[in-house]
Formats: sequence, C-alpha cells, structure tokens
Amino acid sequence: MTWLALPPVLAWVPFLNPIALPAGARLWMFLPLAFCIALVYRATRARTARELPWPTVINFVQIVVAMVLIAVGFYALHALVLWFS
Amino acid sequence: MGTDANQPSIARTLQAGILAWILPGAGHFALGHRGLGIVFFSAISFAYLTGVAVGGVKTSVDPQGNRWLFLAEMGVGGYTTAFYFWSSSIRVPPGSDPEYISFFPESDVAQIYLAAAGLLNVLAVLDALSRAQTGGLPTYHRDLPPAREDPGGGRG
Repeated sequence: MTWLALPPVLAWVPFLNPIALPAGARLWMFLPLAFCIALVYRATRARTARELPWPTVINFVQIVVAMVLIAVGFYALHALVLWFS
Repeated sequence: MGTDANQPSIARTLQAGILAWILPGAGHFALGHRGLGIVFFSAISFAYLTGVAVGGVKTSVDPQGNRWLFLAEMGVGGYTTAFYFWSSSIRVPPGSDPEYISFFPESDVAQIYLAAAGLLNVLAVLDALSRAQTGGLPTYHRDLPPAREDPGGGRG
C-alpha cells in the first residue's frame, strides 16, 4: 500500500461507504451466509444451544453440497445446450 | 418472576414476539433461552450488518429504491428502522460522486445478505412465539429424539 492509497481508506466510514469486494470474493461470500442459515434453522429445532454444533455443521455441509450440485447441473445443462446448438 | 414462568399467556407470547422482532434473539433471551438467544442474535446480526456494510446504508435500506427488499429487511425491525432513519438523512445531490451508492456486484451481495437476515428473523420470531406458548419447546418438538441428560440443568 502506498501513501497515495491511504486517504480513501481513512475516509471510509463503515455502513456508510460500500465495501469494494475483491474479484472472486462474491463466490466465497456464500459460505458465511450458508452457515448463518444452517445455524438459525437448527436453532429453531433445538431444545437448547448445546444441541446445535454437530447438526449445524451437517446442515451447513448439506447446503453447500446441494448448491455445488445445482451449479454443476446447470453448468452441464448449459454445456449441452451449447453442444447441440 | 413467579412460579408460572412457563405458563403460556398472551402477554408473554406478544412480549417474546415483539422483542424478537426488534432485536434478534431478544425474545428467546426474555423467555430464558439465553444460549439460543445469543445464537439467533449472532447469526442474524452478522448477516444483516454484513449486508449493510457491503452495500452501504444508502442503497441497502431504501424503501423507494427497492420496496421488496425493504419488506424483507423489516423482518429485523429494530435494525431496519434505525438504518432507515440514517439512510433518509443522507442527501446525495444529483450528478455528484456516488460514494455512498453501491453497484453490482456489491449491491447484489448486500441484498442477498439483508433479505436472508430479515427472513431468518421472521423464522426466529415465529420460533419465539412457539416457545412462549409451549413452555420452551421448539415447534417440531414431537419429531425430535428424546433429550439427553443435561448436567447443567439449565435452559439453553
């Protein structure tokens, strides 16, 4: 980082100025959101917070795997359409 | 508190629902489920605040610009009301440098996080209402396996 780059960083105000996401970060932003969804979903089905950790991890992995499979399926469909067109 | 802390009542149910709507996890906390309250607060607040931070408050909480997103955000009533007043106070003159405005891809990521957080808190509000009526049991408690012995004996 150079001194020329410092003023915009110092002027950045959280929640007021948007964050410029690095290229490729958009994809990885899916993971924390999927974890939050798994955590809240399991919390609505738990008696106490002690029951949460393992079911949350399983749920998180299920969501991620399902989303990857959906993405692969759509990619294959897209490739097939291109192949036959 | 009296001995009827687990007895369902309209006031107790309403209190849990309204508190959960204003602040994620507050309804569960008031019902005595402090662990679950912290979990709901952490997960939903993280998603909501990440959304506002990525998209910026001016673009993210704007009922005129995106009314359906705002409706979803209203699932977290306390946060959205506070951010709405902040967003309304920001004046962006036409043609000025849009330093407060986010565009693709940041605005997309922010919208997904905010909508998910709002809808997750709707789930949390319904769960708080359900627990207030059932004496602390989750909605699908009949489908759950038997509870293990809890050495602490407390509620989560």
